Amino acid sequence: MAFLQIADLSATYGRSPVLSGVSLAVEKGEVLSLIGPSGSGKSTLLRVLIGLLPPQAGSVTLAGQRVDYAVPAALRALRGRCAIVFQQYNLFQNMTVLNNVMVAPLKIKRRPRPEVEEEARALLGKVGLSAKLHAHPSELSGGQQQRVAIARALAVKPELLLLDEVTSALDPELVQEVLDIIRLLAQEHMTMIAVSHEMGFVREIATKVALMSEGTVVEIGTPAEIFDAPRSERARAFISKIIRAH
Amino acid sequence: MGYTLQYGQVYHYIPYLLGGAWISLQIAFLCFCGGIAIGMLNAVALAFGNRLAAGVARAYVTFFTNTPGLVQIYFIYYALPDLHIVLDSVHAVVLGITLNAGGYLALILRSGFLSVPVNEIDAGVTLGMTRLMLLRYVIVPHMIGVLYPAIGNKFILMVLGTAVAGVFGVEDLMGRTINANAESFRSIELLSITAAIYVAMTICATIALSGVGMALLRRRVRFAG
Repeated sequence: MAFLQIADLSATYGRSPVLSGVSLAVEKGEVLSLIGPSGSGKSTLLRVLIGLLPPQAGSVTLAGQRVDYAVPAALRALRGRCAIVFQQYNLFQNMTVLNNVMVAPLKIKRRPRPEVEEEARALLGKVGLSAKLHAHPSELSGGQQQRVAIARALAVKPELLLLDEVTSALDPELVQEVLDIIRLLAQEHMTMIAVSHEMGFVREIATKVALMSEGTVVEIGTPAEIFDAPRSERARAFISKIIRAH
Repeated sequence: MGYTLQYGQVYHYIPYLLGGAWISLQIAFLCFCGGIAIGMLNAVALAFGNRLAAGVARAYVTFFTNTPGLVQIYFIYYALPDLHIVLDSVHAVVLGITLNAGGYLALILRSGFLSVPVNEIDAGVTLGMTRLMLLRYVIVPHMIGVLYPAIGNKFILMVLGTAVAGVFGVEDLMGRTINANAESFRSIELLSITAAIYVAMTICATIALSGVGMALLRRRVRFAG
């Protein structure tokens, strides 16, 4: 069985179905990229995976263990192995950069402060923010905030990192600094599921691409298969549209 | 005009007036604390209460924010005795200002409840925070940040609003000004000194609130004063 196995997953917002029968598998070290038009369920899939939206049906199995989203202890265990980076960064505005990164290992995992601080400083160094340790999020650019958010997610030492359109809210000149970090993580074989509209980047770092439409996975394959030889009509239409747009 | 300013005739009232200013501050502080308690109850009822609780709170807020504070205190001081509820002037004034502040502070506090940082809560939840942790590390600090300037401004307004106490014979700054004026008839001199003391009081309150804000929120907080 794959490291992450999603089988027949369905979810609804109120009464309207937003995911229906999604099945995917992600191996350790793989980077799965979710692409597709707006409203196709890409971000929703990530929200379901991390437990922000309860699934209606189907199953998620992480490292051989089925996740029971109705059990708080199972959710806590999941969140210890899995982290998400949001489009809008979602940093804690009342905390400094350093505290944003330290809060989960220190307060939730209750690890000793010196060790946590050393790791947090190293992570912030890795994302190029050693000079901003004591700044508050409002004092940073969008790109810097997103890099803090990535460091905060990495601080819980996730085995699976979910990236929800992490560059969509950024000015064009700030996109690259965030993509550089993700490229670095891919080189380190971090297992990731990334929702992205940066098609060039998806092609470069994804080991697998899933095209979603109307809450289902339409097609899945390597970047070359999806971008160069899409099989389904819907995939061909989407790919030709984004090629025209670029 | 034929009026000669004679501050020399009123200087000796300054310690007396300053004593009144201290009483004004005490009244403001007392009413503010009471107002926060009433406002909190109403805000919780407005934001999270069932229909009955929310309805009662809405009626309270509508009444106390849509009638003049002076009328409310008049009612307590002059109308309640007809119902055999007799309060002395200080208690009537303190009760009136407190009830009035409770209405306004309810609206301010409710805005804090409604400004819950959904994005930050999502982040906290996905990091594994419990409800208590979310409250402690995310929601309450956020609410303090949102509410502090508005509540601080309300306190400053309340310091000035205590002047109404003088009308009822309370020996606050305004009351003592009225007394001194009745004795000396130097209205311009006395009222200008009183005005200066009020300005000094609000400036001191603003500086103190900003200082506390800087320590609490680690950012500059601007007040209207």
